This record gives sequence, C-alpha cells and structure tokens, in this order.
Amino acid sequence: MSQVFHEIEKKIITALKNNPQQTPEKLEKSTNLSPDQIRRGIEWLKLKELAIVIESQSITISLGKNGLDSFYNGLPERRLLNLLKNESKKFKVLQNELGSIFGPAMGIARKNNWIDTSEDEIFLKNYPSEIPGEKTLKQIGENKILKNIIDKNDLSAIFKRPDFILENIIKNKEISLTEIAKSIEITTEPTNAINVESKVPDVFVARTHPLKDTIDEIREIFVTLGFTEIIGSMTQPSFWNFDALFTPQDHPARELQDTFYLDGFSTKKIGTLDQIKKISESHKKNWRYSWNIDEARKTVLRTHTTCVTIKHLAENKLDEARVFSLGRVFRNEKVSYKHLVEFNQIEGIVVGKNANLRNLMGIQREFYKRIGITKIKFWPTFFPYTEPSLQTMVYNDKLGKWIELFGMGVFRQEVTKPLGITKPVLAWGGGIERIAMLKYGLDDVREFYNNNLNWLRNTTKCQ
Amino acid sequence: MPVVELSYSRLQKLIGKVSKKQITESLPFLGLDIESDNEDLVRVEYSPNRPDYCTDFGIALGLQGLFGIKTGAIKLNIKKTNDYIIRVDPSVTKIRPFVTGIIAKNGRIDDDIIKQLMALQEDLHLGIGRKRKKSSIGIHDLDKMSFPLTYTTTKRTHKFTPLNLEKELTISEILENTDVGRNYGKILGNSDIVPLILDSKKQTISFPPIINSAITTVTTNTRNLFVEVTGINKDDAENMLSVVATILQTAGFVLVSAKILGVKNTSPKFELKKISINSNLINEILGSNLSNSQIILSLKKSRLDAVLKGKNIICSIPSYRFDIFGLMDLVEEVALGYGIQNFEPILSPSQTLGQSNTTSIKIKSLSLIMIGLGYTEALNSSLTSKRVLYDMTNRQSTDMISVLDSKSQEHTILRDSILPELLENLSRNIHASYPQKLFETGIVFSKGNPINEITNFAGISSHQDASFTEIKSILQSTLKIGFNLEIETKTSSHPTFEEGRTASILHHGKIIGIIGEINTKTIENYKIRVPVVGFEIYLSDLIID
Repeated sequence: MSQVFHEIEKKIITALKNNPQQTPEKLEKSTNLSPDQIRRGIEWLKLKELAIVIESQSITISLGKNGLDSFYNGLPERRLLNLLKNESKKFKVLQNELGSIFGPAMGIARKNNWIDTSEDEIFLKNYPSEIPGEKTLKQIGENKILKNIIDKNDLSAIFKRPDFILENIIKNKEISLTEIAKSIEITTEPTNAINVESKVPDVFVARTHPLKDTIDEIREIFVTLGFTEIIGSMTQPSFWNFDALFTPQDHPARELQDTFYLDGFSTKKIGTLDQIKKISESHKKNWRYSWNIDEARKTVLRTHTTCVTIKHLAENKLDEARVFSLGRVFRNEKVSYKHLVEFNQIEGIVVGKNANLRNLMGIQREFYKRIGITKIKFWPTFFPYTEPSLQTMVYNDKLGKWIELFGMGVFRQEVTKPLGITKPVLAWGGGIERIAMLKYGLDDVREFYNNNLNWLRNTTKCQ
Repeated sequence: MPVVELSYSRLQKLIGKVSKKQITESLPFLGLDIESDNEDLVRVEYSPNRPDYCTDFGIALGLQGLFGIKTGAIKLNIKKTNDYIIRVDPSVTKIRPFVTGIIAKNGRIDDDIIKQLMALQEDLHLGIGRKRKKSSIGIHDLDKMSFPLTYTTTKRTHKFTPLNLEKELTISEILENTDVGRNYGKILGNSDIVPLILDSKKQTISFPPIINSAITTVTTNTRNLFVEVTGINKDDAENMLSVVATILQTAGFVLVSAKILGVKNTSPKFELKKISINSNLINEILGSNLSNSQIILSLKKSRLDAVLKGKNIICSIPSYRFDIFGLMDLVEEVALGYGIQNFEPILSPSQTLGQSNTTSIKIKSLSLIMIGLGYTEALNSSLTSKRVLYDMTNRQSTDMISVLDSKSQEHTILRDSILPELLENLSRNIHASYPQKLFETGIVFSKGNPINEITNFAGISSHQDASFTEIKSILQSTLKIGFNLEIETKTSSHPTFEEGRTASILHHGKIIGIIGEINTKTIENYKIRVPVVGFEIYLSDLIID
C-alpha cells in the first residue's frame, strides 16, 4: 500500500534524501518552503514516524556595552595601572581622568595588590602582564562565539560585571529520515489524493430519542405478531380507569396518594347507561358497598393503558382481535432513580380462538425473544382485574438476577360480563422504561427525560 | 405490596419434611415474590388479597399443599358451647351494626406469635377492613373478662383505660389526643354515641373500631384468646374473623364458638362456599388438557376441596378464602395447584393482521424529517410545573389544569404547550456545544369536558446566528415535504416571543400555531446566552384526525 503525501511532505523527504541531516532553516532553503510549511511538514512526518527530530541547544556569547568599551580601551583596572605606570598620582587627578570606571578599577587593583595608597596619592606596586578577562575580551571581540570554547576561569572574571557579557541561548533542530522513510519512492507527478488515514473531528448526529426508539421497536414487534395499535386519552374518568376494571371505590389504589386526580374535573359522560348500571351492580354484589357515580366521574391521569383497551373492547364487542395501546401512564410517586410520575406502558389484549394462558405465555416468550431476552420464566401474581394472573421474570446477565417485567392474565368475568364481553380476553402489559433501561444500560430512569445533550449525542442508537 | 419476614426453620417445623431450597424455589409459585433472602430469614412480598399470607402459618398451609404434604381445605374444628355469649344492643344499628367473635384456647403465645397476630390485624384493617371502616378486629386475653358481653353504644363522656396507656381517658379525649383516635375517629362521624363492648361486670373491653381496653392486653402469659370483629357489613366481618380463626387453629389453639344474640346478628357459621365448575372451561382458559382427577388434585393442592359430581366439579372454598369470587378464580387455583412451571408456552398463528395507528405513523414520518434537518428529538413530561409552563415563559396561568396532592413539586400541572419544556431543556444544556436543535411531538391539554387532548409539534433552534428566517424555513419545508401543506405567517405577539419577530402560523387562513424569536426576558430567565428561535403547531385536525 503506497502512502499519500502532501506536497510539503514530498519536498522535505526529497531534500533529506539528498542531504540527510538538516536544520529547519537549511530545509527552507533546500525546499523553497516557508518556515510555517516546514514546521507543519516536519510535524506530519514525525506523527507518521517517518522523520526523526533531534533537538539540542547551544549558548553563544557576545560583548555588551561595557565589554566592548573594555575591548577597545582596555579593562578599567588596566587603564588605571597604565596611568600609574610612570608616576604616582593624586586621587582627584585619576578620578577626573577615569570618570565612572575609577571606582571598579580601584577596587580590583587594590584587591589584587597591584597598587598602594597614601593619604591622597596612589602608587603602583605591581604591573601584571595579563589581567584575568583580557584573554576572553580579545577572543570575543566584536563577534558572537560559542560559550563552550571559552576558558571558563578567564570568563568568570568578567562574566558578572555589568553589561560586559551578553548570553544568547539558541535551540537547534536537526531533521533526518527514519529507515522506512529513506526507502520511500516519491513520485513527483501531482495527485489529488489526500491523507485518508488522518483523524477528523466528530459531528453531532441528530437522532430520535432513545426511549422513542425502544417504543418504536416494541410497536413493530407487536404489529408483526398481528396486533393493531389503538390510542386513547391520558385523562380518564375513574369509571374506565378503576370501576370498569373491578377496582372497588374504597380500594387503597384509588386514593390520592397513589393516583393523580385532576383538580375539580368531574366527567359528564362516563359510559352508556347500561354499562354504568351493570358495573355498579357488579361492584355492589361482589364488594358489598354502595357504589357512587360521582366517584366514577372523577377524572384521573390514567394509571395504566388497560382503560383504553377495555373501553375499546366494550365499544366494539370483538370476537376475534389482537389490539394494543402504547402510551403515557401516571402514578403519584416520589421521583427517584427507579420511579417516575409519568412513564410509558404497553398493554395488549387477545380475544378469540386460542385465547388461553399458554398462548399468552407464548406471545410473551416470542416478544422477549425478539428484544433479545431468552431466559424467562413465569410466576403467579395478583392483579385486581385478571385471573389467573402471571408475571414474566427475565434474567439479566449484567445484573446477575431475575427482574420482573410484563404482567399478564385473563380478564375476570366480573370485568367482562357487565360490559357485554362474552369471550375470554387475554391481557398483558408493562412499563417500557424498564426494558429501555436494560437496553441502554442505565441505572437511573430519570435520564430518559433529562434531555441531556451529551447523553443524547453519545448514546449508541442500536444496542 | 406488603412484605412479611419468614424464618426458614420455623417454616420447616410448620410444613414438615422439606429442605430450605425447596421452600425458596416454591415461594414464588404461591405468588410470593422473594425480596431478600439471608440465611434463616427470607422476606417475601404477598398480594393484598391474601391476608392469610401475612403470617408464616398461612404460608405454611399453602406450601404444604404445593408439596402435597397436606392437601384439601382447612376445616375449622369449633367446639360448640353456650358459655360465650355476646348480646347486641339495638342502639348499634345506626352506627356499626354487626359484631362477631370466637374463642381460641390453650395456645402458646410467644413474642413471635404476638408480632404475627399484630401484623395480621393491621393487614386485615387495611385491606378487607378498608382502614377499619368496613370492619375492624380486636384480640383480647379471654381470662381477663367475664361473659356474657354486650355490644352496645355509649356517650363520648364514657371513660376507660385504653390499651398501652395507664390512665383513664374519655372517648372524646381518646379521639382527640391519641394517634389511633385521630386517624380513625372520622369513621364514627359526629354521632353523639359510639360503639362499645362491655363485659358482664360492666368493664370496657373494647371501643371499636378505635382501640381495645388495657385490661385485656395479650401478653406472653396469655393462654386463651377472645377475638371480636365489628363492622358495617356482616359478611365482611365474618370473613375477617375466619382468617384469624384459621391462623389461630393452625398455630395450635382450640377454637370454641361464641354465640351472638341480637338484631340482625347471628353466630358465625364459617360455611364453605360451593362453586360448580366444568373442566372444559378450565382447559379452555389454560390451554391445557387436564383430566377431572388432575383438576381435583390441583384444587386440593391449592387447599380447596373438590369432588366430581356428574360432569362438573364441585369446589368447596373455606370462608377465609374470600378472594375467590367466581369461576376464573378457580381456574387460577387449578393453575397454581398444577404448577405454573408445568405449562409450556405455545405460539399459535395469529388470526388477525397487525397495524400501527396512523397517528403513530405520521408522527414517525415527521420525526424522520426533523432528524434530516438536524433536529434531535426531546422527550418531556406531560405533567410539569407552573414554573416551567408559565413563570419562566411569561405566559398567563389562568386556565391551568392541576392535579391534587402531587408528591413532586415539579409535576403538578398538565402542559398546554411543549415549547416551555424545550426552553427548559436548552437551559440545562448551556455547557454543551452549539448549535442546539430540538423538537418534540406530544399531547397537550386544555379545559373541556372531557379534557381536550391534542397532539402538538414544537421545534427550537439555538445558536449565535439563529434567526426567524431559519426557523420559518424549517417549519415550512417540513410541512411541505412531509404532508404537502402550505403555511403563511402573519405578524402577531406572544409573551414568550420577541415583539416584531413573532408570527402566527396559518394554514388555509386558520391559525395553527406560533413562530418567532424567543424574547430576551425568557432567555434571561433561563440563563441561555445565545439567541433562540422556535415554533409550536397543532397537529390534530391538521395531519392527525
């Protein structure tokens, strides 16, 4: 596989093949590229492990203002000694002659025992042939030279004197090719190929909501299993949410603390006269209390979608049907990582031939198989409106335990008879968030409704 | 669902020869969900329709059946005497007309049994007793009272020492100053007189349905018990009593009858209820092919009695099983006795063809178009708050639909618009990279009878260059390509939108929504730092029927 190179990379490789070790500055000349192009090209080649960059640093020194002055006119102490070479002189005379360098010159000369002083005169004691620092001054002169070629001892004599020595740190880069790069054949023919192997930025993908995806997936499974979708109201008179489902009016589930009642809403038309009469009679007979129509009129946010399917059955008296309803249901609960006040539920019913418990279990097993859950079992449970009642337990490998999912059963005759439904009706249903949590590996159900863009933008769609 | 804690070793003593593992594996098949299982203790959730399962005695009876150790209905052996008479005074008729009771002798009472009896009592009060309103129960030390008793009424000035207290209180004081009095006093209404049980020495035994007297407190020294149930319905009172009688007999007590004399009241008979069922119905519902003898055996394992009579099976149900109303309950008892695990699921070909609802299909299409335009789908609650719906968006809150007694302040009002929640979503994402574009379709609510529920569609775009033109283009093209709908915009105003950059959306001259740039006030309320544009339209009557 031949690699695609940028024109810059090609020129650098070619130049380095001719002259194997070059600084960026040299490369600029040998390739005719700009410093910035060279910098980028070297960076690319380095990432591809085609170029080796050896970095080093060196220090040059040159003379500052006072250094140069001393180079031309002699060090201050040399100039002092020269003035004293022939005769001793008075302080004042020397001060006038030397100006600002008089002080430093005196200090050094005295320290080295080259002079002696009386009350107002200065005498020469010794005249040194070479003063420390003079060799260095000569060596540097007007040039820049590498620090490491200078005698360190001699340099130190003047290194710290103000404005004598200027230091300059230079970073050097030497670029060479790796063994692989050396064998690369550069075609000089121009090509429009680009580097298809380089990294590119992410873009945020607009998407349907993950929970909606799960809902759609479940909808499609039941449609292919022969079920037709129906839609019903989220606000319901208690009549359809409770009374029609054999939940007595004094049952704890109907209390404010579990169910959302709408403030001041009493539904005028709750059902046909016949439905109301027969349901109230069934309640009186079986639960032994005085049934109150006002209680049945109270409007609630549906606590399950069963009210939608049972109403559909009562209105259509179907002999052969597979129907389901999918939508929001409500419970007056404290919101927590495992409870929402509003969540989605699916509820399905089967009427007709083969409407029996084993088929109900079979439909469940098929559903779970299609969402990828194969380890399931059925346990008995209790619902007020179905008998027998079962729940599906599914095994979750991640959690290492059995989890309760959909509930199911056969509608009680106390539910179906007053509504004029004569055939057995299978019913099943449950929360969708629970399945979606397993699917997306969430342990906080609230995440579905946070609309956190970081989560929405980064959650894998097909899981 | 209520929970009961069981001890494996106690259960093993009660059931007979079974292993701990057998018990663990069988509990779910009685309908008991194991909540936690820790060495000797196992906590299980039971259904509120089976109060007998709130004691280990009741669960042991059920497991004996499943294991086949003892099957068939539990028969109450009640010794008939005339020693324990309860006379009913006619004054109770209008208040709490019925009383019933039973004597349980020679039992051993330890702390464990006291604990279980109290739990059972609470459970019965809550369930069948409907928080003591329908019926309530009192358990007393038989040896601290003298028969005959009288079930009568008294004035609110009547005094006695109630259970767990050391001094006498009047009825009024009990109702005002004790927890039980305050919780259940309203059952008695404003009546001048209240129910009372007195013994032959005029000692107060009980003040139903509120509290027992301190005299008859049951302790670990108690050997003989008197159980009374009062209520507004005779059948419920007797059903309640039968659960306690069954549990006490199982716990080793000898039952002795109490005789009830007085208006409408009679002594409890604990009669078996008989229901006739045909095997065809059972097999039709279960999808099984069980023979009559298999069915009878299964019913017996569920601790019911059953005999074949002609083509039908006559099933006898003890009175404590008042959860059994009719035929379908018996079908379930057969399924449980046979074992749910023994029914193999089958998948028969569907006789019907399935179909998605057209609303779902259209909403799905709309979503796909929005995705194509770079909008991400949001999902918000229908039940939200006044803060989000009105305060933050400066909208009028005159026609709010609120729910009663919500446990969550963020969920009190049904939404009449989706846009406020989308703005709330943006405010919670100000640290995520822009542009941010969201849409949502969902139900919104408005007053009516019944409540109007219509489907709305809202979209929102937020970035440095967001403009009216951008959002109008989005909506216009979406409706055009999705449903071949043409829209127009007419200058308008709205408290959430910027004056001069707001328009009503019209289709064939009818207003279907609002579009524009969100005003500075709203954006500042939400602490959003970039411009926002958005729209919301009704889909109902536009693309949805």
